[in-house]
Order: sequence, then C-alpha cells, then structure tokens
Amino acid sequence: MRTGHAVETYGRLLALTTNPITWAWAGALVAALVALPWAVSGHLLVVSTTVLIATVGVVGLNVLTGTTGLISLGQSGFLAIGGYACGLLIRDLSLPTELAVPLAGLITGTLSLLIGVPSLRLKGLYLAITTLAASLIVIHIILYAEPLTGGPFGLRIPDVSFLGLRIADGRGMYYIALIVAVLTVVFVNNLMRSRSGRAWIALRDHDIAAKSMGIDLVRYKLLSFFVSSSIVGVAGALMALQLRFITADVFGLFLSIEALAMLLVGGVGSVAGAILGAAFIVLLPEIARGLLALVGWTGETGSAHVFEIRAVVTGVLIIVMLRIEPDGLIGIWRRTKRYWLQWPLSV
Amino acid sequence: MDYFANLVASGLIFGSLYGLIAIGFAVIYKTTGVVNFAQGEVMMFVLYFSWMVGTFVAAPLWLLLLIAIVVGGAFGALLERVFIRPMIGQSQFSIIMTTVGVAIVLRGLVPIFWGVESEPIDAPLKSQLYEFGPVMMLGDQIFALALFVAISAAAWAFFRFSRVGVAMRAAAHDETAALLMGINVRRLQGLSWMIASAVSGVAGVCYALIVARAPDMWQIGFQAFPAAILGGLDSPLGSAFGAVVVGIAASLSEGYIGYGLKEISGFVIIIAVLMVRPYGLFGEKELERV
Repeated sequence: MRTGHAVETYGRLLALTTNPITWAWAGALVAALVALPWAVSGHLLVVSTTVLIATVGVVGLNVLTGTTGLISLGQSGFLAIGGYACGLLIRDLSLPTELAVPLAGLITGTLSLLIGVPSLRLKGLYLAITTLAASLIVIHIILYAEPLTGGPFGLRIPDVSFLGLRIADGRGMYYIALIVAVLTVVFVNNLMRSRSGRAWIALRDHDIAAKSMGIDLVRYKLLSFFVSSSIVGVAGALMALQLRFITADVFGLFLSIEALAMLLVGGVGSVAGAILGAAFIVLLPEIARGLLALVGWTGETGSAHVFEIRAVVTGVLIIVMLRIEPDGLIGIWRRTKRYWLQWPLSV
Repeated sequence: MDYFANLVASGLIFGSLYGLIAIGFAVIYKTTGVVNFAQGEVMMFVLYFSWMVGTFVAAPLWLLLLIAIVVGGAFGALLERVFIRPMIGQSQFSIIMTTVGVAIVLRGLVPIFWGVESEPIDAPLKSQLYEFGPVMMLGDQIFALALFVAISAAAWAFFRFSRVGVAMRAAAHDETAALLMGINVRRLQGLSWMIASAVSGVAGVCYALIVARAPDMWQIGFQAFPAAILGGLDSPLGSAFGAVVVGIAASLSEGYIGYGLKEISGFVIIIAVLMVRPYGLFGEKELERV
C-alpha cells in the first residue's frame, strides 16, 4: 500500500517522482502519443496537434496564474508576440526554425517584463485589466505596423523544416508539437520543485508573508512573468507554424478567455490539470459534434451558428465547473485515485 | 478649433455611453467587491430582449426605456440569484471567471436568437440637428448625454443620501459590521445587481439610438473598463468622470494621431495611471494585514 511522502533528503524533494509506477505510466503515455499518427489522420491529427500546442500555452499560463497567482487576461497578446516573432525571424531573417522558435519565446519573455514591471504594484483585478490592456495594445500595434507585420494582410510563413520534420506535413507538425510539449512539461514540472517554484507558491498564498520570509518579490514576480511568457511565446510560435498564415484576428480576446477556461476546467495550479484542461476544451467541439450526430441532430441552427454554440458551451462549462468542481478535472482524478488506493477503507 | 470642439463633443457623447456602463461596474463592485465582466453583454441582452417586447407592443421611445429598466432589473436579479449568490465564499478569481462565463454565453445566445444584422432605432429625435457655436449635435446624442448626467447625479445622490445607499456603502466597507447592525447584506447585493443591469439597459437603449443594435455591441463594455478603473472602481461618480475623460481622449487621439487608436487609448491611459496610483484616481486604498 502506498503511503504519504516521507522525504528525507533534499535530492529526493527535487526529484520529479519517487514512484517508478508513475514513470511507467508517463512512458506509456508518451509512447501512445508517438504512435498516434499511425492511428489517426487528417482532421483528427490536426486537432491532436492543436491539443499539444494548447498544452504548451496553458502550462505556460499556469506558471503565472496558477502557481504565482497573478491573473493574466493577456494570453492572446503573448501568443501573438511569439507567433509574429517566429514568423518574422523565419521569413525576413531566414533563421533556421530550430533557432527561431526558442528565440520567439525569449523575445516574448523579454517584452513581457514591460508588463511585469507595473504588475509589481498591482494585484488581482487591477493586474488582470492591465494584462488585458497590454494584449489589446499588442494586437493594435501588430495591426497597424504594416511595413513589418503585413498588418491586416497577415503574415505567411514559408514551408520550413524543424529537425528534419516539415511543417506543412500534418505528421511532421504533430511531432514538432509533441517534442516541444514534452520538453515544456518536463521543464515546468522540474521548475515547480525548485527554489523558484516554491517561492512562487509562497507569494501566491500570501505575498507579504512570503516577503517577510526573505523571498524577493520583485525578482520572483518578474521571473514568473518571464518564464511563463517565454513558454506562451513558444506556443504562439507553434501556432504560427501550424497555421502558416497568421493575422491579428487569429489572436483575439476569446483566446485569452479560452486559455483561462482550460486552466480552470483542468485545475488551477497543477501541470497535469493544465494538460487535461487543454485537451478537454480543444476536443469539446469534436465531442459535442459526435454526440449531436449520435442523436441524429444536424439541424440548420447547428451548422449556421457553429461558433456561437461553441462559445455558449464553453461558457456554460466554465460556470458549471466553477460551481460543482472548483478543483477542476484534476480534483476529480485525485479523489478517484485516493478512493481506490485506500479501498475498502475509503469513505 | 472647430475640429477640436467637434472632437470633444463626440468624445463626450461616447464617454456618456461608457459612463453608463462604468456606473454599472462601480455599483456592483462597491457593494459586492465583484467585477462584473459581463456588463457589456448584459447591456446587449437587455436591449435585445426589451426591443423584442417593445416591438411587440409598438412602444414609443420613453416606453422602450421603461421596458429596458424593468427587464434590466429583473435580469440582474436573475443573474445574481442563479450565478453569483451560490459562489459566495469562493475566491475572487472564481467569481470573476463566472461572470466571464456568463459573458460568453450571452455573447453567443444573442446572434442565435436574434440574428447577426444590425438595426438602428427609428426615433423622431434622430433627425433634429442642434448647433452650439461650432459644434453640431443630433437630438439623440443630446438625449443620451442628458440621461447620462441625470443617472450619474442620481447614483451619487443615492449613495450619499438614501437609506439603502448608505447601507450599501456600509456593507461594502465592512460586511460583518453591517450584518451586526441588522442590514440584510445578501439582499443589498442582489439589489446592486438589479440597479447595475437597469442602468445597463438604459445604456443599451442609448447605444442603439446613437449607433444601432448589433451583436458586437458588447465591446463597449471593454471600452468602459478603463473608464471605471480610471475613476476608481468603488466610486460611481468617479467612474462617470473617468468615462468622460476616456471618451474625450479616445476621440482626440483618433482625430489627431491615427485611426484605430479609439479602441486602445483608454487602456494606454489606465496603464499610465495605475503605475502612479494603483487604485485609480478616486479609489480608496485598501490596507492589507498579514
């Protein structure tokens, strides 16, 4: 029977997991994801790629909003910076993609410090609105800096390759997204166990108390902005590579709200929750379509108002999740796991 | 100079629309500490619903306004009862996200029920043109401006002099103490949602009068954000003032600097203001203890 953690050394505290079964399951999941392109193709493969890219983005957002507790409504702005930075580096400077994607992340992270500095004085709601303002300003600049970004005519990205995988090829793009997603998840999971991760959690729970414990608020808040936005920027770069044609409209406000919805539905503050949430929200329209087809409903309203229905379903889901399950999908999973681990002694 | 005066006047008119929404933000925030991200969407929904009722009974403008106030009040009470009250005790993040959820649901429902075409209101006010020196204003614009001034004054007087308004301020200041003084805080919170939604209904009618009704009119809710923040979210009169500033700044920046600045100039202003005063120009500083 598994018991609670009794960690004796600092090294074990930093380890990703002390349980070999967890490693086995994680390995099985990655193997299944690697094998996926042989099982599905066409539209479903594109959707799977989108799930992976959304995972990168939400895991990044989770660092800022879930772990550090700084609510950001500016996700779409950071995605836009990452996407445009990657696209321009490839198109105008002909940088190799392997270099352009991480550079796009770094550029996004650096620019995010411009928003991070005001955040030092702001909290909660005022911060959320500042990030919202910043993302609106970013989109505006992109739309009107026509000589650089193409403005309303968008930015087309040539068919380049990443580690020998071509981005125009569905399978190639899937593997690119998979590699980045796995790297991101491992990186963030490690970070959460480090000094920085624990400092972020402390300042989320009470920043004045954290400060009196010797945590440098300025440094760790800015670091959180930088790390989170860099990861989100990489997600934006992947979006640009997947779509291969981006305009400012791609990065609308709804994207920021959808990202927060993924975080909430999955479970705030947990990397696994972020992954579950991203998968759930992206797959939701597919699930809804399947269910509607199952009952034989393909009515006119359904086809004419696809986007509206999707928005309504997302909104209802956010409200319902917040009401009945504030811990998100990961909360359901944890409770189920605990129940069966202790069965028949569980309550 | 004529150009400048006309820009200021048009800023004033849009500022009054922002202001009506911003008063809604402030009334709810002042009493419940919740920011209703769905304020613009509530405005849109209330307008569409009252428009439907108004067309049914062939209502003139004053009756449409009355219908909007009644529908708004009822809808606000419904929202508070169904979505917000069960969330009491949860974190502020959860409550704000609930209002965001309500916002996207309403945004989706309006085009499904009422279609995507925009329609203007046909009122005799529209065709009358008034001249104030170099400034030209239409009858409907003056009507909206007058309503805004009246409602701002009423909101200020309500919080300053009326028994209920003072009780609301007490509840906002210290919920426990207000409860001990025999104030029914829950009922006041419901009432604040009713007032805010009714004011939004008025804003919706004004918007439809000046521009048109359209399924993207919720965006004005976003324009009203900077206004409410600038004036301080807990001050209805401050929010109204902030709205006038934001409206005029938006109009001037678009007129003199460049097209498209109208949407973001307010946000640029609040980033600058929040750097200096993190609680807005007229907001009260919150003290926090460990």
